[in-house]
Amino acid sequence: MSEKIGEVIEASTGQFVAECYELHSPPPLGSLVKTSDSDVEIYGVVCNAATESVDPGRRPIARGKEEATEEGIYRQHPQLSKLLRTTFDILVIGHAQGDELYHYLPPHPSRVHSFVYLCETDEVRRFTQSLDFLPILLGTKAVAVDEIASACLRQASCAHDDKRTFLVKAGKEVAVLLSGDLNRLNAILRRIRA
Amino acid sequence: MQRAKPFAGGLGVSPNFFFSPKTGGERGFINSFVIRKHLVLYSPQRVAEMSLDLNKVAGQIEGMAADLKAEQKDKEAHLSHALEILRLKSNELDSLRKRIENSKTTWLVAGITNELTGSHKSRECPSDFAVIAVDGSHIDVDRHSAARCCLINIGSVVLRYGEKPDAALRSQPALYASRQDLTIADPLGSGEQALERDLLGIKRAVAEAEALAELCEGIPPQLPALALLDGSLIMWGLGGQAYPDYVKRELLENGFLQALNKIKEISQKTRVALASYISFPRSTDVVNALRVALCPYDPPDCDRNCSRSVPSSKKVCEAVDGVQDSAIFARVLGPGERSATFISRSSVVQKHYGDNEVRFFYLKGDEEIARVEFPRWAEERGLVDLIHTLILDQCRRGQGYPVALSEAHEQAVVTGSDREQFQYLVELALSEKRLPTATSAKSRSKKTRWI
Repeated sequence: MSEKIGEVIEASTGQFVAECYELHSPPPLGSLVKTSDSDVEIYGVVCNAATESVDPGRRPIARGKEEATEEGIYRQHPQLSKLLRTTFDILVIGHAQGDELYHYLPPHPSRVHSFVYLCETDEVRRFTQSLDFLPILLGTKAVAVDEIASACLRQASCAHDDKRTFLVKAGKEVAVLLSGDLNRLNAILRRIRA
Repeated sequence: MQRAKPFAGGLGVSPNFFFSPKTGGERGFINSFVIRKHLVLYSPQRVAEMSLDLNKVAGQIEGMAADLKAEQKDKEAHLSHALEILRLKSNELDSLRKRIENSKTTWLVAGITNELTGSHKSRECPSDFAVIAVDGSHIDVDRHSAARCCLINIGSVVLRYGEKPDAALRSQPALYASRQDLTIADPLGSGEQALERDLLGIKRAVAEAEALAELCEGIPPQLPALALLDGSLIMWGLGGQAYPDYVKRELLENGFLQALNKIKEISQKTRVALASYISFPRSTDVVNALRVALCPYDPPDCDRNCSRSVPSSKKVCEAVDGVQDSAIFARVLGPGERSATFISRSSVVQKHYGDNEVRFFYLKGDEEIARVEFPRWAEERGLVDLIHTLILDQCRRGQGYPVALSEAHEQAVVTGSDREQFQYLVELALSEKRLPTATSAKSRSKKTRWI
């Protein structure tokens, strides 16, 4: 069981937001993470990460003019790490109940304060055996959705023994879904070239 | 809220407003225009909606600015005179000290330690040190609320610098609702004082000092550390006859001073110093010492020699009127330097503080002259240089103000919306217990403004 990397701070059916336990350490864009709603495990793809002030009324200012290194800034101002936080947004693309995997949205959103875990390699491989989650991913209204989809497929390919085969299969699936939009299709295919 | 609409043609105000009798003339016209250009952007309908008629106040504000400008020249002359007296008297400290001891003035005069015009550079910052700061805010008792209660919120910060940098930021609210909590009772009699308004502010200062003392306990013995408070260490509010003795005993002897004593004891086994930081001080203790030096009477006695009923009095000390200590030290000190240390001779300090007698120096930071206060025991233990060095370092990290204090303030602050939430929670708790939540008619009429 992997270590928890964050905690849900906002949740809705199609997405949730988590805060990282470690500042500046969100999971990579496109990686598969999971959280739970008691007996249902909810899977999602990281689609955004941000580091900002805990208090929305305060903004960081540049402090490093006299510092040689970036670490020096945090050493000279130890309160900074307590005043900033890193959060990441997750697009829900499936769920699991018991041993069954489903590549569609869960019946209920996750609960606030649920732990968030980075999926391990076997889990990623098992989940991405089927690419039925692609319609949700490509159809979402998120910003830079094609970047996220490409990042997700690149990340997922690392969990498969034959990266190339996986990416070719994914490319064909994307081509079917985006047959009416060649520009988008080309953009994604260029980003998942092995 | 509807945005003010820019007024397209002409001016939205009467031409009379441009020629106020006080300012008059061409310059007055230009000054008026500068202030009033803000008003011409509002349409007449918008101006009529505001309950404060800024048009009527604008002229008065200009008058005030003109008066201040006229006083400027006098102020400069008084400041030069004060600087001259300062230099002259710096070699006659013994006689000045004696005069100050014997004088009976209507204003507060600083006690002199061993110098008047000295300026001291800061030392090198220790490689490892800690700064602890506490600030507080409160929600006063709402006379119009169904439940009588108040809240004190204490924000505290401990910052470690050096090998193992770290920070601990915390906010701790405390609700005062029981009868004992909301009053200070005379243990030997039947009198009692309600804890609200000014007295609540004093209680908050006590709570801040107590929180600071508690945090000092956690400091390792060899680590140089500075415990900082915002504002003055002098409990002005408890001086004089404003409150009965039992209130002073509870809040001063058994409250604030007890906390200072605790920090003093901790300091005996560690390297913890205590100070408070006053930004933009308006004090005149040191200038008043110059007034004593100037006084032709021996001993100086304001009531006897210069009362308004005595027509032939010559108030020579008027030559330094309007000069604040900060203006003097802005000229005397170089960047980062501190002044000599002085003693507060306020009656509450002299009567009650003992070892904690408040002393102070002025510090020229990058952005302003600040007044730093500390107890006598800190000076006796040789901690003044540490206080100076660490406060300067804190101001440099904090863009001109000690960063530990500004972070403690952020932890303590209670915003307008926090207040509303608090009131809402109180009403919710009452209604869940089926208690009446009626508020006053006056409060209701303020919330629902009808015609």
